[in-house]
Amino acid sequence: MSLILLSLMVLPLIGAAFIAFNKAEWAKWLGLGWSLITFIWSVIAALAFFDWSDSGSMQMIFRREWIPSIGVDFSLGVDAVALLLILLTTLLGPICMAASFTAINERRRLFYASLLVLQAAMTGVFASRDLALFYFCFEFTLAPMYVLINLYGSTNRQAAATKFFLYTFTGSLIALAGFLYTGWKVSLWNGGLWSFDIATLTEYASRMSATEQTWVMFALLAGFAVKVPLFPVHTWLPLAHTEAPTAGSVILAGVLLKLGTYGIFRFVLPFTPVAVLQYAPAIAILSIIGIIYAGLICWVQRDVKKLVAYSSVSHLGFCVLGLVALNSAGMVGSVMYMVNHGLSTGALFLLIGFMYERYHTRSLNEVGGLASRMPIWAFFMVFFTLASVGLPGLNGFVSEFLCMLGAYQSGATWGVGGTAGPLGPWFAVFAATGVIVSAIYLLFMVGRIVFGPLQEPADHHAHEVLPTDLSVREISTLAPLAILCLVLGVYPAPLLIALEGPVAETVAMYDEVRANSAIAEAPPTVDTIEGESVVLLEREDLP
Amino acid sequence: MLDLLQNLPTLTTLAAEGADAAQSAGMTSYEFPGVGKDWMGLIPLMPLISCVLCGLFWFLGVKSKLPAFTTVLFLGVSFVLTVAAYFQIHPEGLVQRVMWFNWLALDTASEGGGLYIDFAFYFDSLTILWMLFVSGLATLIALYASEYMADDKGPGYCRFFFAFSLFVFAMSCLVMGDNLVLLFLGWEGVGLCSYLLIGYYFKKPSAVEAAKKAFIMNRIGDLGLLIGIMMTWTQFGSLEYSEIFSQIADLNASGEEIPWAITIIPYLFMIGAFGKSAQLPLYTWLPDAMEGPTPVSALIHAATMVTAGVYLIARMYPFFVLNPTALAIVAWIGGLTALLAATIGMAQFDIKRIMAYSTVSQLGYMFLGLGVLTSAGGAFHVFTHAFFKATLFLCCGAVMHGFAGQLDLRKLSGVMKMKGWGIVGIAMLVGCINLAGLPFTAGFFSKDMIIAEAFVTPGFGLLGWIALLTAGLTAYYTFRVFFRVFIGPVEYEPGDDHHGAEESQDHHEEEAHDHGHFHPHAPGWAINAVLAILAVASILVAGVYFMGDHGGWAGSMVHDSTAYYESPYAAHDGEAHGSPALFGLDPHKAMYYISGVVALVGILFAWFLHLAGRKTAATSRADALKVKLGPIARAAENKWYVDEIYNAIIRVPLLVASHIFALIDKLIVDGLVDGAGWLPRGVAKGLRPSQNGIFQNYATGMAGGLALLLIIVWAMSMTGGSG
Repeated sequence: MSLILLSLMVLPLIGAAFIAFNKAEWAKWLGLGWSLITFIWSVIAALAFFDWSDSGSMQMIFRREWIPSIGVDFSLGVDAVALLLILLTTLLGPICMAASFTAINERRRLFYASLLVLQAAMTGVFASRDLALFYFCFEFTLAPMYVLINLYGSTNRQAAATKFFLYTFTGSLIALAGFLYTGWKVSLWNGGLWSFDIATLTEYASRMSATEQTWVMFALLAGFAVKVPLFPVHTWLPLAHTEAPTAGSVILAGVLLKLGTYGIFRFVLPFTPVAVLQYAPAIAILSIIGIIYAGLICWVQRDVKKLVAYSSVSHLGFCVLGLVALNSAGMVGSVMYMVNHGLSTGALFLLIGFMYERYHTRSLNEVGGLASRMPIWAFFMVFFTLASVGLPGLNGFVSEFLCMLGAYQSGATWGVGGTAGPLGPWFAVFAATGVIVSAIYLLFMVGRIVFGPLQEPADHHAHEVLPTDLSVREISTLAPLAILCLVLGVYPAPLLIALEGPVAETVAMYDEVRANSAIAEAPPTVDTIEGESVVLLEREDLP
Repeated sequence: MLDLLQNLPTLTTLAAEGADAAQSAGMTSYEFPGVGKDWMGLIPLMPLISCVLCGLFWFLGVKSKLPAFTTVLFLGVSFVLTVAAYFQIHPEGLVQRVMWFNWLALDTASEGGGLYIDFAFYFDSLTILWMLFVSGLATLIALYASEYMADDKGPGYCRFFFAFSLFVFAMSCLVMGDNLVLLFLGWEGVGLCSYLLIGYYFKKPSAVEAAKKAFIMNRIGDLGLLIGIMMTWTQFGSLEYSEIFSQIADLNASGEEIPWAITIIPYLFMIGAFGKSAQLPLYTWLPDAMEGPTPVSALIHAATMVTAGVYLIARMYPFFVLNPTALAIVAWIGGLTALLAATIGMAQFDIKRIMAYSTVSQLGYMFLGLGVLTSAGGAFHVFTHAFFKATLFLCCGAVMHGFAGQLDLRKLSGVMKMKGWGIVGIAMLVGCINLAGLPFTAGFFSKDMIIAEAFVTPGFGLLGWIALLTAGLTAYYTFRVFFRVFIGPVEYEPGDDHHGAEESQDHHEEEAHDHGHFHPHAPGWAINAVLAILAVASILVAGVYFMGDHGGWAGSMVHDSTAYYESPYAAHDGEAHGSPALFGLDPHKAMYYISGVVALVGILFAWFLHLAGRKTAATSRADALKVKLGPIARAAENKWYVDEIYNAIIRVPLLVASHIFALIDKLIVDGLVDGAGWLPRGVAKGLRPSQNGIFQNYATGMAGGLALLLIIVWAMSMTGGSG
């Protein structure tokens, strides 16, 4: 029984309450201090209390009964994947706080408190070992994000906030239906006892019939694909990103989108293996369409924030592609992608936010050639663009390469290096054209906004507080991200090895499903499964 | 975390495994690398340190020449170490490996032991051959640049040497990496540095555009390489050269049928090579890359980076010799590129661009050499070309530096006769005779090795004639530059662009007034010293042709590596090996006479058209010829409109598609979401007119989007037929 994860959830909440009852002038310092403490604590926890050599199993477990009548527990625990994403969340926390010091001047208490509440909810999503708790946190992220966009965004913020809320909310409602069906089905095999323990559900859910799995998969995907967002349900994202305040965009790109891919990794893949095996090519094709289609759309955007937003759609396509490759390379790469995209795209949003604060425009037609005005800003802009382009030596390459490699190997039946899987070389080849497309639009962006002759809006006045180039505060929000991009690009090996553990179980599960279907020629029906393996689990037996 | 680190494979165990595997397989044709000396790992580290230091100077705001001399020092050390490594490796033809650390690891828990991609360096004689001229020339050119870039002292200067050092590091990784992923790191790394340095004068829109073009065109090639890497991995389960080559050697020894994947891999690597080495159809970025400072053009876009494609094919030669079709494509692409670029080079007026086209053309020769099975000839030409082309570019740079950016050969004349320009003129002459292939120069011997093989290898006779024609054209355009710019009546007009162009936009008008009292400034000690050294080196390189037993020293370096292939048609110089004769003579001997004559004819044409009777800088007898040729001359001057064609058939359609996609996204994909809400809103209005339908609106719209998703998925699964 470990209180660490609980503390990581509760600390930000206490901080939020603290901010709410103090002076508005203190809000930013309290927010920064509190999130810094949380971050440091999470790093200590990850280094000292997590056994990295056993990264595949749930650790730092905490469990209390919550709603015993329907088998809902307050149950926490992390493996390497969840822990990594929690670390990403706690890292982006203080960075978002520090980035908002001059940008947010009204209703500051609500702003910083919302950020902390959001952080608590996101931590809860990754730390949950109970489906009900997961879903609660998953939905709860919407509220603070809605507040952030709706109150602190730019001109079209209300429409964006509403669209964001309704689009993702509707999706997750459908996902809820899928979860409930799974829970009900498992309770049938369990003598009518309901359980929302994720490990239990994972063990039994895959016994649903192929048809059931298909429906459940689509239901869950409705929730998670919108969140990712996968083509063609991505259109809420550019709007939300463009209108959100800088901190909101960073969190949105950095963590909230990962709730979708994490959900696919944690639930869709283990719950519905038969359906996933069947539909993986279709999902992969949607990802690839997203990679190329959204990438080309980036090229013709003139709002730089929208450009980066669409690039997220394109990039996350690689992430989903890696997941549905269903082999070690692809899935490890995909998890790495979640982290790497959070770092580099988060940083790009910060940079655009800093520029916006100075020029009050995001239009590529109005500003350009800023390298001669803001060399430090330009350096970071080029650096994170390169990380985003997937330059080897920086973090983006490792994950992009592994995702494509995973897709390539998956189903390659010749040679030594092929693995079983639903995809194949052509998927990787088409996805790889995204590498050219990303170079086209990102270098277009940098060529306009960083390089070329200096261009500033005609009515431009120097900011009353901020210096021409980045301030020390702003640099210190970017520097940690830059260092991480470099470190994860040059020495990702320990992390890659650590991520194998959590991924291995899913990979093994798919090997088994493949073996079974090869024997039976058809997916097992409910009857046979019910006939041979109805096991009555007592609640006490649950792990 | 510590446990994890300890689990990584260490240097010793890996080496031991290698040795075991080699013994158990009873391998004769491929030797697993032994453990190299630790200091050999410093060769790539030196430029990296220099890069970090220059970055630090940049950050600290250093305004002296410190970054330049730091770079020269560290690159010099790297060169000395490379020479030492040469003596370590070459005499016995050893293959060695030096490990830095493990970079990527996958599937480490699997039975096969998983896959490790290391930051490790592979030393065989091919590596050393490349590294010798890379680190040597980089040192010299850094010294040259210390003076050339002196007007930019400050942030620009630091930025320049930062990227310069980073380039040398990336190039070292490319050449010395012991696996394909590290090669890819170097491959993209040199592309990045090329991007940063072409765009060095970032206020100039043309420079930014050229940098972008270079990077994107390279990326198209990189796509091929990337897919080739994935294919190699899938085929061999490894990306380390030692593993790949030993498997290929086993395959050859077993006499089994070659798996189809192995025959595809060369085509993929080829795409990468053609992108990086500016061959058809991906060559158009290189001439534009001349927007960068001239030292960059000399090092990156002439001597080193652009030969990476040649290196890739030479390194992967065992794959290529298994596929005659792939080799033929390499040969034809090389030969045609050589001819095409030479014809464009003849009609240009910008001397730096002429040199750029000549680089494209010479690279074509190298690919031709690889294609007609003389990897030794290809590698030798890379080596000699690196020296004389760097010399030529640096001479052009000295002129550009001295005449305020003037590069038009119609506006400069008789430069050699001016005070203080003697060394530049002589170095230029040395470069020109090499490039033109005048007898007994290094360029003459290396080019002959290739052309002779093209004639004797069955099926490539036509290419031999193309190569000979190109040699004549090369001699013509090379001496066109020399006769126009360096000798003849003394006359000059300064450029309108001070090469320290950081401020160029602001100073244009000022410069215009300055023209009246412009004085060219002759190069200082650093530029002169570097040019003198390079000129001497370019001449001396010819001597290595007579060293060693396998077609010269470069040939013997190739002979000791996997790039070597004993061509059944090889024309053995001086030996009666039963090799085919050319015009009744030993092919190489015959080629000495023929190509010597061809070169002289080309020079004669240049003399007649551009020097004899020329009174001014701007006009010559060639003008009359140009009028007669009319549209042909115009098309050549406009680069055969290739850029325009690419723009029309690739860029514009892609841009149109992007706009259409953006529109579709707004109107249809998103419109469906929003628009689907109109129906229920209407219904809602009818039922409850007072209510604002926004929630239903979106919720229903959302459902519409999901329906679309479901329909697409369903349609795809139906066509998949998996039921």
